[in-house]
Amino acid sequence: MSTYSDASGAIMPLPKIRRATGFGGVVPALAFVGIFFVAPVAILLLRSVLEPVPGLGNYAQLIGSATYLKIFANTFIVSGFVTAISLAIGFPVAWALAIMPGRLSSVIFAILLLSMWTNLLARTYAWMVLLQRTGLINKMLMGMGLIDQPLALVNNLTGVTIGMTYIMLPFIILPLYGVIKKIDPSTLQAAALCGANRWQCLTRVLLPLAMPGMAAGALMVFVMSLGYFVTPSLLGGTANMMLAELIAQFVQSLVNWGMGGAAALVLLVVTLSLYAVQLRFFGNQNPGRR
Amino acid sequence: MLLNFDRLGWWKYVLLAITLLTAAFLLLPIVFIAALSFGSSQWLIFPPPGWTLQWYSELFADPRWVESALTSFKIAVIVTILSVLLGLVTSFGLVRGSFMFRDALKALFLTPMILPVVVLAVALYAFFLRIGLGGTLTGFVISHLVLALPFSILSISSALEGFDKSIEDAAVLCGASPLEAKIRVTLPAISHGLFSAAVFSFLTSWDEVVVAIFMSSPTLQTLPVKVWATLRQDLTPVVAAASTLLILLTIILMALVAVVRKVLKQ
Repeated sequence: MSTYSDASGAIMPLPKIRRATGFGGVVPALAFVGIFFVAPVAILLLRSVLEPVPGLGNYAQLIGSATYLKIFANTFIVSGFVTAISLAIGFPVAWALAIMPGRLSSVIFAILLLSMWTNLLARTYAWMVLLQRTGLINKMLMGMGLIDQPLALVNNLTGVTIGMTYIMLPFIILPLYGVIKKIDPSTLQAAALCGANRWQCLTRVLLPLAMPGMAAGALMVFVMSLGYFVTPSLLGGTANMMLAELIAQFVQSLVNWGMGGAAALVLLVVTLSLYAVQLRFFGNQNPGRR
Repeated sequence: MLLNFDRLGWWKYVLLAITLLTAAFLLLPIVFIAALSFGSSQWLIFPPPGWTLQWYSELFADPRWVESALTSFKIAVIVTILSVLLGLVTSFGLVRGSFMFRDALKALFLTPMILPVVVLAVALYAFFLRIGLGGTLTGFVISHLVLALPFSILSISSALEGFDKSIEDAAVLCGASPLEAKIRVTLPAISHGLFSAAVFSFLTSWDEVVVAIFMSSPTLQTLPVKVWATLRQDLTPVVAAASTLLILLTIILMALVAVVRKVLKQ
């Protein structure tokens, strides 16, 4: 092996110069992803500054219009609600799953996976029927005497929030389960020995230890919610559009590629920067399906 | 104490109640749709006045439903084959190779997983309009493959990372050609990764809606697109029947995965 002397005179091995190997294997995938993923997305984004006239006009129009700002607000508010509710339900469930007897927890895991893998449209359709004015949920609430008039649960943001929370729950429960499972029970025993009561153990030991997992899971649910298309467009009304549907509408009905590209870039930038935050602070978590 | 189920005291029952309610919440739509698909009410009243197979016979009697299901299946099978083959070659390059930007390339290959699908759908729609692939089978296959490939690369790479290459080298030392050693030693050893790659790819393509909406044409649509288009008009129980069949296929595939995992572990 060749060597050299560093400043202090010690003999150091020369850094090995290695020939690139195995690159041939990734060439087909690189070509495929380059042509059918990178190029189309890049062209779409380019069109946002080139059409109809070069410049930032599309972006000015996007920010300057109350209609579009309301759509951005809808998107962020719904995603925020979905994230908060998923977290509030998901934490106790993940906690229970982590400490439950094996048989019961495996049944619940099976249900989680089943719902996660069940066709998205099938599940959204179910909520469209369940939540309609004459649907099961309204009938049950009226039967219990909780309400006199059927509630408007669908074709509005309430419907979107219910349907989206349903879809996101497994995505927050599974990573949280992993985090809580890894917490050493002796830390809680130590806290109890030092005189902490149950509530203090929860708020000062368990929650802080689970916090990185909660933050990472919440961020992931939030990002996924921002870009959702199917559920918001079926469960939300035409008056309560969300960002993904706006992009689709610019392109499909209005054939306005400039505005479509601009809205897509906004969604892309928010999504990727939130993922960057996640990678920076919480390491690599499994991204879920859409 | 908080991490010991039996010593939680009354908190145990609170946790248990939340968990069981959540499980019921997750299960409700799935069971509900399956029940509705056999219900005799046109207006989706629950509980239904009677039971019938009418919606299934309507589903199978309509050539457009049958055709869209066949289209979905055809596309999913082609995507699965291509995704596993491409994923295999790529994984060998990524795991065994050593070249500049290897990690960056792997990240690039996985990006379609995290990108909002609607952005990809719109971008590919524009691109395919230009090059004449819009509304074609090839267009469907390519767009579904973009989404399926990351799952395939992820499954096969992790299987390959867990395989000790010296076993393959030993086969070469014993006289096998490098290719023969890969096919007869390495491939069987990573078969669980190939299997997951195939199942994930199939389900990704089979369930894909957003991209498919943009790829479809009046003459060529997949089952989810047909469901989508029908849902925009009315909530007919025929959709419940189609949805139940979609759910059934998912359950069968999940059971298959569980069985194969068990067999491969032995």
